[in-house]
Amino acid sequence: MSLAKIFRKLGLVFAVFLIVSPALLFFIWMVSLSVKFEIDNGAYPPILIPEHFAWKNYTSVFESNNFLLYFKNSIIVTGAATLFGLIVGVPAGYGIARMNAQKSAIIIMIARMTPGLSFLIPLFLIFKGLDMLGTLWPQIIIHLVVTVPIVIWIMIGYFETTPIELEEAAMIDGANRWQIFMKVAMPIAKPGIVVSFILSVIFSWNNFVFGVVLASRETRTLPVAIYNMLSFEQVSWGPLAAAALIVTLPVLILTVAAQRQIVAGLTAGAVKGG
Amino acid sequence: MAAVQIADVRKTFGTTHVIRGVDVDIEDGEFVILVGPSGCGKSTLLRMIAGLESITSGEIRIGNRVVNDVPPKDRDIAMVFQNYALYPHMNVADNMAFSLKLKNAPKSEIETRINRAATILGLTELLDRYPRQLSGGQRQRVAMGRAIVRDPQVFLFDEPLSNLDAKLRVSMRAEIKDLHQRLKTTTVYVTHDQIEAMTMAEKIVVMHDGIVEQIGAPLELYDHPANLFVACFIGSPSMNVLKGRVELGEFITAGGVRLPLEKTPPSALGKPAVYGVRPEHLKLSADGVPGKVLVIEPTGSETQVVVEVDGQPITCLLRERVAIQRGDTISVRADPALVHLFDAETGKRLTD
Ligand SMILES: Nc1ncnc2c1ncn2[C@@H]1O[C@H](COP(=O)(O)OP(=O)(O)O)[C@@H](O)[C@H]1O
Ligand SMILES: [Mg+2]
Repeated sequence: MSLAKIFRKLGLVFAVFLIVSPALLFFIWMVSLSVKFEIDNGAYPPILIPEHFAWKNYTSVFESNNFLLYFKNSIIVTGAATLFGLIVGVPAGYGIARMNAQKSAIIIMIARMTPGLSFLIPLFLIFKGLDMLGTLWPQIIIHLVVTVPIVIWIMIGYFETTPIELEEAAMIDGANRWQIFMKVAMPIAKPGIVVSFILSVIFSWNNFVFGVVLASRETRTLPVAIYNMLSFEQVSWGPLAAAALIVTLPVLILTVAAQRQIVAGLTAGAVKGG
Repeated sequence: MAAVQIADVRKTFGTTHVIRGVDVDIEDGEFVILVGPSGCGKSTLLRMIAGLESITSGEIRIGNRVVNDVPPKDRDIAMVFQNYALYPHMNVADNMAFSLKLKNAPKSEIETRINRAATILGLTELLDRYPRQLSGGQRQRVAMGRAIVRDPQVFLFDEPLSNLDAKLRVSMRAEIKDLHQRLKTTTVYVTHDQIEAMTMAEKIVVMHDGIVEQIGAPLELYDHPANLFVACFIGSPSMNVLKGRVELGEFITAGGVRLPLEKTPPSALGKPAVYGVRPEHLKLSADGVPGKVLVIEPTGSETQVVVEVDGQPITCLLRERVAIQRGDTISVRADPALVHLFDAETGKRLTD
């Protein structure tokens, strides 16, 4: 390797470090907080790696706060919202892509960008009238506002890059519209479905505002539950950071596990060769 | 197998007229090639036969059934696309089986048909591969295999060879022709390559700007082009043309060069016309027209010489090897019996 090449490589490493460092440092500090006792957390100058590890921060998260219930709530809400999001969003994305219906795509985008609070209050009243507030349904339904647009927008992109000839070939081969969608368009757009599934899970899992308004004590999701750990008198940073990390963990694992799928999906668009 | 009739078919996209009244009769079992420059509407016409494009007006019949409103899947046709359009998520066998599975054909029959097609096309070893694992030529064969397992009434090909390299194209040409000899299925084949058309077709339909310029057997088009467009489009190197007027027994170019004619069509007398002669019908001859040699290209089997006559480059294709050089002056002579005359205004053929 020539010197110039080494320098270029070093430059790249440095640039990447610079760009990701805010996120990285933030994450490292959170990990550090989660394993320290309160004394170390308040120490000045700050301590990164403590002498004594406070593992009880983690165990106490599981012991207290109905953690498992909230975890289950989160899984049900995110799972159901993502499932319905895919069932509705994949065919919708296909329709919009094939009919060139950009206007409807934009309307969906606008619905996505509308501030949640503007429709949360009326919806709260409606759900209350329907006597649904004690259940997870209001949150599942409202999370569709997050998942459906994500799925639709990602799938539009995938279906648009699928060569129309493939569908025409299927048409000539004797397939009807439904068969074309199920047997040709969808299997080819599978990487897109994976990507939209992951993003939909991430956004739904992390959503906070909807839960704050719509969740009762028994129907809280994890982000809301963590928020409720904050009290005005005193913030216990250790348990809070531990809880936050536990909440983030499933999403983190999912992202890392699916990273290859996402990248493969993004490059598999060129179907011309096969 | 079936005959295909295209009667006064038109197609407009918005306000653009892409097909402007086309009539073609394709006989049962015939191999017909639609040829024309890019953008003349060949694909559009083919797609109308397939049912992928609606018919603005006119009528298309396949085997005596008007198919204007019949969806593609019920037309009993198979199509091979320019980029093959193989299903990327299915292996070769599944690609070929797709149409049969949709028809709920019995498993044993599907297998027999696939094996037969694979044998014909030399795909037996590749049945488990995915399209991305195949070379261009192999993909091309799979696309044809997908068409022949169906045993359709009509094969439609849209520039199937244009993505292949030159050598493969030549061998696939022979293969497709051979396939047609064997299966005898009515075939409509689109290409912009006149050599492909000349070498493969039983009947050529020359299209230009959404209309049919001429229909005929390859050599018929070559020897008796109906108009200037066909004359210049068919043949490589293409026909030499000179503008001028017709007098009794001779043609006088714009620059005053006199060229002998065998017969003078009475209707053309004194009128502005175009004189056309194919490069291989020109010979070196002392009593010919003198011209300066601009280019000389020996290929071994023949020599292509470009001479300047009447200020225009004229291509001669000589069978013999000649000892001439660039800048020399030579005399060339056209065989008067093989000369074509065209109306200068309409481009229509004047000689018979
Ligand atoms: N869907 C379409 N909308 C508008 N114009 C089209 C469409 N399809 C084809 N055309 C036009 O019709 C003409 C003929 O196209 P095509 O049949 O593909 O030509 P060819 O196959 O002979 O090259 C072209 O000028 C093209 O731009
Ligand atoms: Mg075309």
